[in-house]
Amino acid sequence: MAEFNVRSDSVNVEQIMEQIRARIREKRGVDYTEAEIQQLASARLESFIDPGRLHSNLLAEFQRVRAEGDAPEALDAAVDESVLFETHRGWLRALRTLLRPILKLFLNTKALAALTARAKAELTRKNRDQMTFELIHNVVVEMTRLGIEVKNLTMRVESMQSRLEFNERRARALEGAVVYKPSEPDVTPQRPPVQESRPPVEFRPRHDSQQASQPAASGQSAPAPGSPDGQGQPGQSQRRRRRRRRGRRGGGQPWTPNQPGQPGPAGPENPSGLTGHAVSPHEPLPADDEHADDLSTEPEEPDDSGPGTDSSPQ
Amino acid sequence: MKLAVVVQRYGPAVHGGTELQARYIAEHLAQHAEVEVLTTCAGDEETWANKYKAGTDTINGVRVRRFRVSRSRSGTASARLGERVFHQTHSLADELKWIEAEGPMSRGLLRHLRKHGESYDFCLFFDYRYCHSFYGARAVASRAILVPRAERDDAIGVRAFHDVFRGVRGILYNSPEERSLIQAIAGNPQVPGIVVGAGVDAPQNVQGARFRQKHDIRGNFALYIGRVDERRGCRELFDFFARYSKQAGTRLSLVVAGDGPLEIPQHPKIKHAGALDEASKFDAIAAADVIVVPSAYESLSRTALEAWALGKPVLANGKSDVLRGQCLRGNGGLCYRNGEEFAAMLQAIEQNRWLSGSLGKNGRQYLRDHYDWRVVERKYHELLQQLQKSPAKTAMPPIPGWSERRRRDLPPAADVLRSAS
Repeated sequence: MAEFNVRSDSVNVEQIMEQIRARIREKRGVDYTEAEIQQLASARLESFIDPGRLHSNLLAEFQRVRAEGDAPEALDAAVDESVLFETHRGWLRALRTLLRPILKLFLNTKALAALTARAKAELTRKNRDQMTFELIHNVVVEMTRLGIEVKNLTMRVESMQSRLEFNERRARALEGAVVYKPSEPDVTPQRPPVQESRPPVEFRPRHDSQQASQPAASGQSAPAPGSPDGQGQPGQSQRRRRRRRRGRRGGGQPWTPNQPGQPGPAGPENPSGLTGHAVSPHEPLPADDEHADDLSTEPEEPDDSGPGTDSSPQ
Repeated sequence: MKLAVVVQRYGPAVHGGTELQARYIAEHLAQHAEVEVLTTCAGDEETWANKYKAGTDTINGVRVRRFRVSRSRSGTASARLGERVFHQTHSLADELKWIEAEGPMSRGLLRHLRKHGESYDFCLFFDYRYCHSFYGARAVASRAILVPRAERDDAIGVRAFHDVFRGVRGILYNSPEERSLIQAIAGNPQVPGIVVGAGVDAPQNVQGARFRQKHDIRGNFALYIGRVDERRGCRELFDFFARYSKQAGTRLSLVVAGDGPLEIPQHPKIKHAGALDEASKFDAIAAADVIVVPSAYESLSRTALEAWALGKPVLANGKSDVLRGQCLRGNGGLCYRNGEEFAAMLQAIEQNRWLSGSLGKNGRQYLRDHYDWRVVERKYHELLQQLQKSPAKTAMPPIPGWSERRRRDLPPAADVLRSAS
């Protein structure tokens, strides 16, 4: 009787689970369990919580202990058996010196001295090991942290890269979708009559716009855009394009003639008289390129400056 | 052929996994043989209190003979003895006391088996850990066929059961993992055995919308069916699901169908549908996107099989080697080992329709190949034929004498399980 041999070709559960686990490992950075990560984190935290345990001069301490441990004279001195009989009391030292031959009959003082030296060396080694352990521990913790950080950064870079690629693709798609209509000044429609009844939007002049109108006020007329002089000025072609677009939408700027700092008919309020003709608030604005060019000396367009000065048809 | 199905509880209102399997097997075998169910009057497995009337009855065309439970179960005594048997060096007498404390002890049932056991060709004992199987299989050892339903828990390490595993005529395993476990612990490869399991009868008119309407459930959801119990992995499931639902872009909610001692946490995405009858259960499965099986202790997950019967994917606890094996063999579900994997795999099923559909389709095919009732009935028939032809190769060792039973030299059951793993 055949038993349990179904294996579908389309889905391999084992492979899928392994892929998901690999993704989790990748996301986590390293294949630590939750408990291990917690342990690592707490170990690091402990060091900062208890600064007394930290060696601020770890390198100097390390060198000092190594120097002590490796000092040959210290070892020779320790091996000298006379240290076994040393004392600060003179009479006791004399007595010990007197009795030393007898004492040496009973035990090997050289071996005892060697053991003492070895114990001291062991103590030094333990100190050194402690510091080595601390160094290694710090290195491991730092490496783990850096590894996780690098993984996180890699993932962020990948995420940003994919977003960038997506945006590029989107931009290309939009570029391909937009059809630019060539501007034809003569056929630009007049403002629709319905806009005549619309109250003019209040124009709030900006500070820089007033500055821009100063040369005109002083009789130095600015070169008209489109003229050879004005062609080289940066940003003018962009402004023209914006106006053309607005003209096509029928959303030209409805000017109020007698407001300070605003271009209008010749007069005290508009000494330059660049617009060439008076414009009634209710009269539709010509939106052809010629007039757009005439308006080029006006200050920066309010509708570009923010919603508060938006003058587009509502 | 005359068969006896011996099980601790029986009836259409009894929804335990073992009891359901025994009932389905009895009803299907009744089409090919004379089947009599021997059971107790117990209604619940906590106390084994007598609920049904003793005597004979017929349920779905199957003759049922009920016997009264002699002694009700005490949870504290059972737990105390279990602690000793599982975690301390103990004696065989301790194990026997624990088995009797677990129950259900029905002297009438055992007396009937001793007296009339010869009238049956074979007796199918369901669930090895209960009294009726332990003493019943000893009463009719030459005709005893065990359906152990063993899980990887400490009870399998109890020494007293190993003699039963070695002494019965045959064993019907639910999964290859169960067979490996029992053979590793009891050392009974000489006992004839086969991996069978049980089929699934999905109703014809399954309607997910009916379940949604009845319980006012909208949107996609994962479904848990079963007893709401810590032992069934429910606490872990609730924790893991809460963690999953915190992630961005997750839409699944969790519907819990079942009751139990564990409190269901208050969570906006966890809904409790209560215990369901058979028809509603299949409606719920049809409405669900994925079925979650969080238990680490399974011998055969009927929930997984029922999910596959309706072409639904399964998300199972990978700590259960049985569930893991079922999912891998059938390619019908994913397994998790911790909270991160739970979230990632649930998200994979949720967001990948192709994966979800393929898992469900594969599961359905796996079910048709191995757990279709025709396949199950054929396997039963073949094993019974084989046992009828060949003489018994094994003998049930008797329970040792008074002094040997009291010798404290048996290792803790948990250690036995650990050493076998």
